[in-house]
Formats: sequence, structure tokens, C-alpha cells
Amino acid sequence: MSSNESNKTEQLTTSASGLWLLPDGVEESLPSEAAALEKMRRSSLDRFRSWGFEQVDPPLVEFIESLLISSGGDLDLQTVRVTDQMSGRMLGVRADMTPQVARIDAHRLNRDEVTRLCYVGSVLHARPDCFGGTRVPLQIGAELFGHGDIAADLEVASLMIETVLAAGGKGAEKLHIDLGHVSIYREMAEAAELSADQEDALFEALQRKAVNDIAGLLAGWNIEEPWRSMFAELANLSGGMDVLKTARGVLADAGDKVKAAIDSVECIATALRNQYPNIGLHVDLAELRGYRFHTGVVFAAFVPGTGQELARGGRYDCAGAAFGRARPATGFTADLKLLLKVSAATIESQPEAQERIWAPLAAGVDAALDSRVRALRDSGRVVVRALSGPDGKCQPDANCTRQLQRTGDGEGHSTGFSWELAAL
Amino acid sequence: MATFEGITIALSKGRILKDTLPLLAPLGIEPTENLDTTRKLIIPTTRADVRLLAVRATDAPTYVQHGAADIGVAGKDVLMEHGGEGLYEPLDLGIAKCQLVVAGPKDFDLSGRQRLKVATKYVNVARRHFAAEGRHVDLIKLYGSMELAPLVDLADVIVDLVDTGNTLRANDLEPLVHIADISTRLIANRAALKTKHTAITALINDLKEVLAP
Repeated sequence: MSSNESNKTEQLTTSASGLWLLPDGVEESLPSEAAALEKMRRSSLDRFRSWGFEQVDPPLVEFIESLLISSGGDLDLQTVRVTDQMSGRMLGVRADMTPQVARIDAHRLNRDEVTRLCYVGSVLHARPDCFGGTRVPLQIGAELFGHGDIAADLEVASLMIETVLAAGGKGAEKLHIDLGHVSIYREMAEAAELSADQEDALFEALQRKAVNDIAGLLAGWNIEEPWRSMFAELANLSGGMDVLKTARGVLADAGDKVKAAIDSVECIATALRNQYPNIGLHVDLAELRGYRFHTGVVFAAFVPGTGQELARGGRYDCAGAAFGRARPATGFTADLKLLLKVSAATIESQPEAQERIWAPLAAGVDAALDSRVRALRDSGRVVVRALSGPDGKCQPDANCTRQLQRTGDGEGHSTGFSWELAAL
Repeated sequence: MATFEGITIALSKGRILKDTLPLLAPLGIEPTENLDTTRKLIIPTTRADVRLLAVRATDAPTYVQHGAADIGVAGKDVLMEHGGEGLYEPLDLGIAKCQLVVAGPKDFDLSGRQRLKVATKYVNVARRHFAAEGRHVDLIKLYGSMELAPLVDLADVIVDLVDTGNTLRANDLEPLVHIADISTRLIANRAALKTKHTAITALINDLKEVLAP
């Protein structure tokens, strides 16, 4: 970008232009969207609560070390930093709430029993997660600490599916769940004694499922059989449940840990299929998103035509170690704004806006009206009080469809009158 | 736009298209319109479950990344420049092979200490390449006729694709450093490969058979 161009952009985004643009990747919700978002937020949190997850509210900013230490470096470039004017130390604006919640579990709560926590809040990404995405997702998630068995992963994956199904409306009928296990590649890389550079290079090619590049890399390295052919096959191990059977054959010599990993994926896949027979199940043993953070089963939710995952999660048993206690942990997160986008794109009729009732007098003028208004509001109805216009007269609020009307016979201040709902 | 349940393929017009269509034909996928003359951008094919998008070469990864197309065909050079985040590259089509190189005047001393001026349309690739060597360079983004830049002192060297090397030779330039071997890749959207797995995998496997000698 030439300096001329950047000057122009600068002018466009400052107040001087009167345009009041928002930064790239930053958006705001106007009333109808904000109402839908809030509804989704509440119903999701209510669901988490009914599954026994307790809500916590981690801070927006923390010292950078505690935000990054447990993330395996994946969050480093995503975290926006500011200097703390009080301590002179570096603060980070959270890019992901999961490490914060892991810190709360390991360090603050310090319980020994199983702990289920959930949370919702805005996070800030230094850059959009690829494709014109948002930099300010509204993250929602649930984490289960203190249980290392596959049953915990299954519970969290089920909760993720229910959350997406409820939020995604019709589009979620075609929900696909992708299952993987990061230990498979990690154990193989260790057993085959790959160097750190080789592990990274192969990881990068596996991420792209670039079969030809993988073959090229392996050809240039001195790796013994059977590892060479197993690595070559790994990228092809994706598809339906039958992939697991193939994997057992192809990775037969990869050791007990790999076998156990395949068993876990099969266990969770079978349980999910029994619970949710209508969703699509996809197994991908080379799926390595979040490889540096996760330690076991990983899962993600997709719907056709969205191009990106709606929610994802998995096991991360090491995050607590940085805070003094390595607790088994598994959880999932989603962006409520993205969920809303998908549901809005697929639900024909939005939940209609709530009816608004106009109360024609200001407060304190008519006691009967005041008590009626209070009763209606207490029962959850929307009542808008009159405000006088420039001419001193009260005009009905433009968004109201009904009004409170004085009925009755007397002309005094009390008993004869009542205020009834009428069309406006 | 009505939802299309089949597979959408992003293809760029020009050389890649010419080389790719013969690979798709044995799969029963042939455009129903003449691509050279049609003004349509969404082109149906002889298979009802497959349609083509005609896009600019550098845009193919973008269409696939956003899920606007399920799969696409793009040169490795374009993918390297684009970054390829969230894309799968399940197949090397082995067509349009060439090399990405640093080129400059004959006998140019790249090891000199001066700050290099580099003209290229692959600014990200060039930045990464020289950064890996610990060199500071000034990048000049050009959209074509890269070879001109060193001749008129706009730049010291260029980063560009070389096929036969004829254009370089005709202008007294030569390849100085090999950066990467380039070929055309089949790319796939991450979500599409999972949600339309059966259809897309079948197509990839069919293509593999066409490619196998």
C-alpha cells in the first residue's frame, strides 16, 4: 500500500470524515440481532446449567504470561497486548477464554473432584481467523476438569451437539461431527524418532492433506519402515466410521497408545451415533487443528455450505500444569455470532419482535395506570410510557401496536376507571 | 441464490483450465457451454451434480477457502502466496509445472551486503524467502512483465515463475536461486471435505485414476 493510499484509509476511518467506521473485523449488533443473540446466549447458558456446568466470568485482560503459558503458543500472535499503566507489565486481551478457565480450575478453585465450568464473553483476535471473519467473536464454551476418561469427552461432545442443534435451527439438521485424535500423530512422530523440524514439516503437510508433499518429505528422510508407510497412509485416514477399521489395519504396528487412541475415537463415535442417529459422523485421524494445545480426542461441528466449523473442542490434559496442577480436561467452544449467522440463514421466520404497549400518560399522573403498567411489566410485557413531543402533546410511540385505554363510567380519580388493552 | 447440493469446482480461465478439462472429461464432467465465448460465470456441466465457477487464477483459493466452491484448481505458486489457511491439497495434478526462482542479471552477486530491491507479484513468498536467509529486502509489487524491472533499475532481482526460461534469456537475465517446484494442485475446502465427504473423495479418487499412467 502506498503512503498515499494509507493516508486515505486513515482519513476515512477517523472522526474527521464523519463516517465513524469500525475497525476491520469488528462489528456491532443492532436491536433485532442483539435480541436474537441474547436469546441464544441465555438458552445456551441455561442448557449448560441444566447439565451441571457452573458459570464463571474470567477477566477481559490478564498478565500476558498467564494467558499464553498453557496455550502451547497457538495464541501468541492472536493476543493483543497493552502495557499495564499500574505495574508496567504487559497485559493481554484474551483471545480465547479456555486457558483462563483452566487457570481458574487449577489455581483458584483448586478442587479435587470433577469440576464442570462454562462461560460466555467477548474475545479479541489480533487478526481475523482467516476469510473475512470477525476479530471479536462472542465466545461461549463449557469445560470439564478432573476426569480423564472418554466418558467426559463424550459428555462435552454431546453438549456441543445439543448447543449447535438448538442454535442452528433448520440448518443444523444436516449437522456433521468430525472426530479425530491428536495422539495418533504425536505418538507416531515420537516412536519414529522424527526430529522437531521433521515433525513440524510433516505436521504442516498433514494439515493440508497434501499427500504428494508428504510422499516428497518422506522420500528425503531416513525413516525406517513401517513408519514410512504409516505416515504416508495417515492423510488418507478420513471418512465414515469404516475408516477406523482401515486404521486398525494400516496402523497395526504403531503401538499400544495409537491403538488406544483409535479405540477412544471408536467409542465416542459409536456413542454419538446411538444418541444422535441423524447427524453425519466423519472420522479424520489426520485432523490436527489445535495440535499443540490438545492431547487426546478432538471434535468439531460443521454444517454444509458454511465453509468453516461452528464449534470445536477436545481433550487438553496439560493446560493446568502451568498453574500447578495438571488436571485432565476436556471442553468445547463456539462463537455465538457465527451460530446466529447460520441460524438466520436457514430459519425462514425470525422469532417475531415482542409486542409493545403504549401507556398514554407519563408516570405519576394516574395511579391506576401506574399500577397497571407495573403489573404488565412484571408479567414480562413491554410497556412504553408516553413522552411529550415538542408541542407538549404525547404522540404514541411508533413501534407500539397496542395501547392502554381508559374505560369505565365515572369522572373522578378512583374506582370507576380501569385501564384496558386496546388496539392502537 | 438457490442452494446447490452437488460439487462446485473453481477453475481459472487460461492455461490451468485448458490443462484441467481433459482430466475432468473422463469423469463425465464437461462444460455445457463453450468457456471461451460464454459470459456466464457459473457453468453447468454434463453431470448434474457438478458445476464450474470461472474465476481468476489468484482467486481460486479464496473461493474455496470461503466455501463458495467446494474444490478448486490452483497453482502451488498461488497457494504459497495466498497462505492456504484452512485448505486441503489432496492431489498434485502434475500439470503446468514450472519453478519459482529468484532471477537477476547474469553473474549478479546475491551475497553482496547491499539491501536488495526485489520486484515480484509474489510479495509474501519473496518476503518469507529472504527473511529465512536473514536478509532485509525492499519489495516492489508488480502485476506483470517482471523481467523489465532489473533492466530499468527498478529492482535488483525479481521473484517469478520460470518455465522455459526464454523470456529471461531474451532479456539477459538468469535464474539465480531456486525457491520451489511449482505444479497445479487440487484444493478442497475443509468443511466441504467433511460434510460432502463421499462425493468429493469419489471425485478425487477418479481423478487419481485418470492421472495414474
